[in-house]
Amino acid sequence: MKPPTARLRRPSRRTFVRNMCIGGLATFGAPLVSFAQVRQNGRFVFVLLRGGFDGLAAVVPHGDPAYQSLRGTLAYEDSDLVMLNDVFGLAPGLAPLKELWDQKELVVLHAMAIPYRTRSHFDGQAILETGIDRPAGSADGWLNRLLQVMPGERSGIAIASGLPRSMSGSFNVQTWSPTQLGVVDDDFLGRLSMLYRADKALSGRFEEAMQQQATVGEEPMAGQNARRGGIAPLMRAAARILRQENGPNIAEVEFSGWDTHANQGLAGGALDRLLGQLAEGLVTLRTEMGPAWSNTTVVVMTEFGRTARPNGTRGTDHGTAGAGFLLGPQVARSRVFADWPGLGDGALFEGRDVKPTLDTRAVLKAAIAGTFDLMPAQADRVFPSSEAVRGAYDLMA
Amino acid sequence: MDGALRALNRFGLGARTGERRRINDPRGWLRAQLAGGAPTIATPPAGAPAALGEAIRAFRGPARQTPEQRQQLRRKLIEIASQESVAALTARVATDRPFVERLVAFWSNHLCVSTAAKVLVAPLAGSYEREVIRPHVLGRFEDMVLASAKHPAMLVYLDNFQSIGPNSRGAQRGRGRRGLNENYARELLELHTLGVNGGYTQQDVLELAKVLTGWTVGGLQNGGRRLRSAASTQAEIGFAFQDLLHEPGTRTVLGVKYSDAGAEQGEHVIRDLCRHASTATFVATKLVTQFVADAPPAGAVEKLARVFRTSGGDLRAVAAALVEIEDAWTDATRKFRTPQDWLVAVLRAVNAPGVNVMTLPVLRQLRHPLWAPQAPKGFGDTMQEWADPDSLLNRAELARTLARRMRDARLDGAALLDVIEVGAGDPVRTLLADTSIAAADRVALAIAGPAFQWR
Repeated sequence: MKPPTARLRRPSRRTFVRNMCIGGLATFGAPLVSFAQVRQNGRFVFVLLRGGFDGLAAVVPHGDPAYQSLRGTLAYEDSDLVMLNDVFGLAPGLAPLKELWDQKELVVLHAMAIPYRTRSHFDGQAILETGIDRPAGSADGWLNRLLQVMPGERSGIAIASGLPRSMSGSFNVQTWSPTQLGVVDDDFLGRLSMLYRADKALSGRFEEAMQQQATVGEEPMAGQNARRGGIAPLMRAAARILRQENGPNIAEVEFSGWDTHANQGLAGGALDRLLGQLAEGLVTLRTEMGPAWSNTTVVVMTEFGRTARPNGTRGTDHGTAGAGFLLGPQVARSRVFADWPGLGDGALFEGRDVKPTLDTRAVLKAAIAGTFDLMPAQADRVFPSSEAVRGAYDLMA
Repeated sequence: MDGALRALNRFGLGARTGERRRINDPRGWLRAQLAGGAPTIATPPAGAPAALGEAIRAFRGPARQTPEQRQQLRRKLIEIASQESVAALTARVATDRPFVERLVAFWSNHLCVSTAAKVLVAPLAGSYEREVIRPHVLGRFEDMVLASAKHPAMLVYLDNFQSIGPNSRGAQRGRGRRGLNENYARELLELHTLGVNGGYTQQDVLELAKVLTGWTVGGLQNGGRRLRSAASTQAEIGFAFQDLLHEPGTRTVLGVKYSDAGAEQGEHVIRDLCRHASTATFVATKLVTQFVADAPPAGAVEKLARVFRTSGGDLRAVAAALVEIEDAWTDATRKFRTPQDWLVAVLRAVNAPGVNVMTLPVLRQLRHPLWAPQAPKGFGDTMQEWADPDSLLNRAELARTLARRMRDARLDGAALLDVIEVGAGDPVRTLLADTSIAAADRVALAIAGPAFQWR
C-alpha cells in the first residue's frame, strides 16, 4: 500500500486536514489513530456494460488451440486482431485501447465472473451491482457501500437513467444525464423548492437536484450529442463533472446493447461497432479528464459472459465468465490478467461457457484500494462475506 | 384520502378537472370499466397488414441498395412506429375506461417487446399491443402469453424466429450453419411466467428452446435462397410453424414430458407454464406493486395469486380483485408516477384530446420511451427507479416548457388543485392562487409540484 500522502499530491484549496490523537482512549501499545478529514482526490469510474458482453469476441484467445474450431463462424483471423501477446488479442473495434496498453495503463481481464452462477440478466446485474455473492433483495449497491466505507470528504454520481442499483443505498449520491428539456429560472425553482419541502419523501431528492444543478451547471454539448448514440458523449460529460476540483470521486456510467443473440458479426460487424464506441468512450474519458486522469481508475465489467460457441443465429447466448478492463495511470503495468482455463474439451463450464477463474470482487477490491488508499480490511467491507476472496492488489501500483 | 381521486389517479391514468365530483362510488366506477368488451383501438393506416408487410419486405429486400435507399426504407419503418405510438398514447389520454387502459399498459410492459433492440421490431410494436395485449387484457393470461409467443414482434425481438432445432431436417440440410437460440425460452420462463426464482433450471431453458423451434415468422421476405417453404412466401407477416426447423422428439420441461406434436407441443408447454403456481405469485407480485405499493404487502399478493390460480388466470377476475385490496385505499400507500404516467396525467388534467408526434421525443428525454425498454424485463414502476433528483429536475423543466406551450388554452393553475391530493396546510394552495405569479408558471408549478408526482 502506498502511504496516504501519495494521495495528496494536489491538495485542493478547500482541503483541510485535521489530525486527532485519541491518546486518552488508546490502549497500551496501540498506534496513534489519526483521522484525516481530507477531500479525496481519487476518481473511480465504474462502467457497467448491461446485457452480457461477449468476452471472447472482445478479447480474443487467438493462441488457444481450440479457439478456431470452437468459435467457428465467429472466429477472428489473427490478421484482424490487435495483438497483446501470444495468446490474446483485442477485437479490431478496440484498437483505440492499444494506446493505453502501450502507456502501461491497461489491464485486460479474462475468464472473470461474478461470484454466483446465473444466466439471468436480472440476477447477474443484481450480483454485480450489490457486490454480494447471492441475490439479495434489498441490499445496497457496492459503490454506495464504498462511499460509506471510504474516509474523507467524498461524493458519488451516476451518469445514468435514474439511480442504478450499484449506486443506491444510504449514502446520498447525485444522478446526472444530459437533457434537452429546456431551462428553468431560479424564481421558478425557488417556488418549486418550497412545494417540495412540504413532501417528506421527495424533499431531500429535490434539494439534491438543486445543489447538483449548481455544481454541474449546464452541459449543452453533452445534451446535443448524447442522442447520437455511443458512450463517448456521456464519457465527455462524466469527465467534465469528475475533473472539477471538488467533483465526485465515484461515477457509474452505463452502456447497454450487449445482449448479442444474433448476427454479432466480425470486424466491422454489429458487436465490433459497439466495441468501437466503448473504446472511443474510454479514450474520450482519458483525454477529457486532463491532469485529473493521473488520479483516475476505470473498471469495465458486465453481468456475465456469453456461450463460447456461436448459437444457431450467428450470435451467442447467456454464458458465464467473460472479459473486462481495468485502466488508468495507477495500474502497475499493462497485462492480460487471467488464469486462462482454455477452450478445449472438458475445459468449458457446463460444456458451454468460459470457465470462471477470476472473481470480479478480487479486481474491484484492488481497484478501489489502489485509488483511494484503502486497507484490505476496508475493501472487504465493501463486499460483504468476501474475506475469502483476496484482492488482486498487485494489479495496482 | 379522497376515494374518487384515488380511483382516478391510482387505478386510472389521472383525473380530469371536475371528474372527481361525478364519481360517487369509486370501486363501482372501476368495476363498471371491467364490464364490457376488449378495449380496441383503430389501426393507423401505416399499420394495416398489407402496408406493414410491404414496408418490411422492402426493407429486407435485395441487398443491392444504396445507403440512401436503405435509410429511406428504414425511415418508413420508424414512421409506422410513430403512427402506432401516437395512436396508443392517445388512447391513454382520451379513454373513458382509464383503469382498463392502465391494464393494457401494464400487460404490454410485462410481456414487452422493444423497438430499441432491433429496427424490425419498431413497425410491429403497435400491432403487438393491438393484437396480443388488447384482446386478452380482460381475458385469460395464457391466451395472452400464447398470442405473444406467436406474434412476429416477440418472435423477432427475442430471436425465436431464427432458432432452429439442431436435429431438424432444416439444420441437416443447412449443414449446421444455423441452430438453436435460447433467448426467448429463457425470458418466457424468467420474465413472462415463473419468474427468476420460479424453480426452473438451465436444462429447462434448453428443452423449452427446442420445443419452440419452428415457431417463426412468415411473410418477411420475397422468397430468396434461404430455406424455402410456404412460410417464406406467405403474403401477410405473421406466425408460421415450420416443421422443417422443429427439433423432433419428446421434451421434458419442469419434469413434465411433452410428446412431439409440432406446434401443439409448444402450446401445451406454454399453457402449463401459465398455470404454474410460481406464475400466479410472480404476476400477482407485479400487479400489487403497480397498483398498491413499491413494497407489495404479502397478504395482498397471496390473495391476488389465489384469485389468479382459482380463476385459471382470468384477468378480468384478477383486475376486479385488485380493486378490493384495502391497502390500495389508504393514506399509507403512495405510488410515484412513472414518466409516461406523469405525462399522460398532465394531458388528461388539462383535457387534451390526445398526443402528437412531439410527445415521443419528450418521453425519450424522460427516459421512458414507449415500447423501448433497454431490456426484456421492461420498465420498472417504483419510486426507487424514477424519483432520482435528476428526474425531478427534468420534470420541472418539462413542466415549464409544456405550460408555456399551452398558454393559449388559458389554463387556470388553481383549477388543477382539483386533480391532486393536497393537505390543508400545503403551500401549493397559496402559490396556485397567487396572481402575482404568471398564469403559465402556476400551471407549471401544479404539474411539477410533488403532489402531482404521486398517484
